[in-house]
Amino acid sequence: MTLADTNTPQRTRTASLLRLARKNKLSAFGLLMFTLIVLASIFAPFISPHDPLDQNILDRLQDRSAEYILGTDTFGRDTFTRILYGLRVSLMIGLTSTFLAMVLGCSLGIIAGYRGGWVDSLIMRVMDMLLAFPTLITGLFIVAVLGANFVNIVLAITVTILPKFARVARAPTIALKEREFVEAARALGYSDIRIMAVHIAPNILGEVVVLASLWAAYAIRIEAYLSFIGLGVAPPTPTLGTMIRDGFNHILDAPFVSIYPGFAVLLVVLSLNLVGDGLRDAIDPKLRD
Amino acid sequence: MKLLRNTAIATLFATGALVMPLQAQELTMAVAAQSAGQLDPHVSTKTEDKTVFGMMFNGLVRFAPGSMSSDAIEPDLAESWEVSEDGLTWTFRLLQGVQFHGGYGEMTSNDVVYSLTRAGDESRSSVSSDYRAFQSVEAIDDYTVRITLSEVIPSLLGVVANYHGGNIVSARAAEELGEDFKTNPIGTGPFAYGELVEGQYLELVAHEDYFRGSPEIDKITVRYISAISARDLAFQTGELHMIAGSREDRWVNSMTASGESVVDVFEPGELRTLHVNTAMAPFDDIRVRQALAHAVNREELIAFAGASVARGNESPVPDGYIGHEPDLEFLSYDPDRARELLAEAGYPDGVTVPVAITERASLFGPMQVLQAQLSQVGINLELDVMEHSAWHAAIRDDASSLVLYGAARFPVADTYLTQFYHSDSIVKTPTAVTNFSHCNVADEQIIAARSEPNGERQQELWSEAQQLIVDEVCSIPVFELLQVWARAPEVNLGYELDGSLSLGPVITEKTTLSE
Repeated sequence: MTLADTNTPQRTRTASLLRLARKNKLSAFGLLMFTLIVLASIFAPFISPHDPLDQNILDRLQDRSAEYILGTDTFGRDTFTRILYGLRVSLMIGLTSTFLAMVLGCSLGIIAGYRGGWVDSLIMRVMDMLLAFPTLITGLFIVAVLGANFVNIVLAITVTILPKFARVARAPTIALKEREFVEAARALGYSDIRIMAVHIAPNILGEVVVLASLWAAYAIRIEAYLSFIGLGVAPPTPTLGTMIRDGFNHILDAPFVSIYPGFAVLLVVLSLNLVGDGLRDAIDPKLRD
Repeated sequence: MKLLRNTAIATLFATGALVMPLQAQELTMAVAAQSAGQLDPHVSTKTEDKTVFGMMFNGLVRFAPGSMSSDAIEPDLAESWEVSEDGLTWTFRLLQGVQFHGGYGEMTSNDVVYSLTRAGDESRSSVSSDYRAFQSVEAIDDYTVRITLSEVIPSLLGVVANYHGGNIVSARAAEELGEDFKTNPIGTGPFAYGELVEGQYLELVAHEDYFRGSPEIDKITVRYISAISARDLAFQTGELHMIAGSREDRWVNSMTASGESVVDVFEPGELRTLHVNTAMAPFDDIRVRQALAHAVNREELIAFAGASVARGNESPVPDGYIGHEPDLEFLSYDPDRARELLAEAGYPDGVTVPVAITERASLFGPMQVLQAQLSQVGINLELDVMEHSAWHAAIRDDASSLVLYGAARFPVADTYLTQFYHSDSIVKTPTAVTNFSHCNVADEQIIAARSEPNGERQQELWSEAQQLIVDEVCSIPVFELLQVWARAPEVNLGYELDGSLSLGPVITEKTTLSE
């Protein structure tokens, strides 16, 4: 009975998730939008006839046309194609860094909460230190020092959101470790690692996933910020932030070059937020309405 | 956009009608930089600083305002000059009663001797190499200066003109202020240094005692706004009278079409050259360099900037410079040949090269076009985009195998050839200037041409040097970009602007602001 407890909340949550789609139309719409965006970026080569790096100088800075659905940029590259490929990079950076931050942050949070004492103090003070810096500053610092490339940008974003996950994971761990099923596990002689991984982690997973979906949107925005101020992936690789930056020189005479990728950032962030909100409602009925 | 423009005109009229007659005449302009450099005319090589030096200083002679041709050299601080038969002794007679800014007294031969000696001193000047043939500069009396040369140089008047080292500073001010001189530069020009707020603006005030007469404009504010869109917007709303424009067809056309501003497109053409590091793999192999030259499509690069502001050039010396050779044999655009050469050199599958590049659009843009062109033949550039000053430091540290550089120099072939292609100028050596390619094939011709008395023979030597550099593929000259500025119609410069060695529209004592 005590061991079965671990599964009960999960089952109800799965049911809630299914209910979500029916009840919360807005979130379902968000989910649909996000799925479409991901699919479009994956199947970019089949959707667009253009190459994202192919320059047609004579066709530069053109507005929408049959050939260039969303016009062309400073170098005559097709904006629509670049958005699709840019989404790939932006999503990859955003999702990878959020996932890494989630795994590392939660592990640290659970260890801190479960162990308590000096381990807790040490981990959480370090996390507090990281949180003390404004997010963008930490990211900027890391990228500026290590150099701007894919791995470093992922690292920078991971470090900036990792402490948030640690905090979120720690609080419920402290409550859960006093529960009977944990004590039972301990009485059976299971190791701390097993208890943390098998008995505690699944119980906080729901909340963490909700936050992950919200913070993934945030991570994509940080990537766009960093790219916009010139600390993004090196050209000619398109990312949404660099595309906005590239178009900025022509913001008065050809605003569309920046506006379309900006709109793409908006759609991704909006869809992730809608999904996140819906998930939170499903998991925490108290917050509904 | 139309609404915006209309509002801009309305604002202009409103401020013009209400404020101008009551207040002192103040001219505001914005340059494309984040901040001023060191405001010492013998030190700073920054474009934006040169423009303000042109308003603050005089030389012994000057290029007539709005012109940069050697024919247009006219008296400035010197009222007349004589040259000895052998061309080695030059005697300048100075104007009397010329006053320095800020009560630093009358300009005399002492200041001229001090300034030219300072300009030739490596520790206090960044252009000392221009003065290496100066054996002595002496004051004969208070108003006579004699310059003795160790050898004939291509254009002596050029190095004593109102440009870079030729600018005359106050000896007393430079000595008394020492290090502080660059934050309080004292010259004789129509405008004096007022105030500098780092990263925001530089204020120049009229020099009432200017020897050509008191300036019409009372105050100039030079704002530092690096983003073109921000300059554009401020100009359109009437906050600025003049702005450094975007060097692009589109911009020039839309500004001209608006009918509410005057666009000045003027000389010099800054030559954009891709310098190839001949000492660094893979470009130490001439076949790879030739492949590179065959892969560059100039037509496309010119189209990128636009025909109204750009023109092609295959010579290592810019068009219009004395000694420029227009008819060189060069490697034309031929991607197939490029691929062949690359394969011969041992790179059948292409080669990847890391390259440092500034974030400034005027070089970063063309570099991205080059990147796409070169990738067509299998030369893949990994761009490391850097902040402008950091990039300047990196390329002088020999850190990049390709350097896309844009420069305008004193319009004589010697300056360009010496600074970019003579082996003494190779970067990271004690005598380094800007030889990024480690080129050393034309040393003999460059030196010989410098003191060649026969004009025809001199041209031959210069042409030979240019052909040698092209054959060795030390660099790939790509295109020239002209200077582009916009001004409100009420700004009357007081001269025809065809060219400006100061790389910007210089405001003179005659410039006016009408209503």
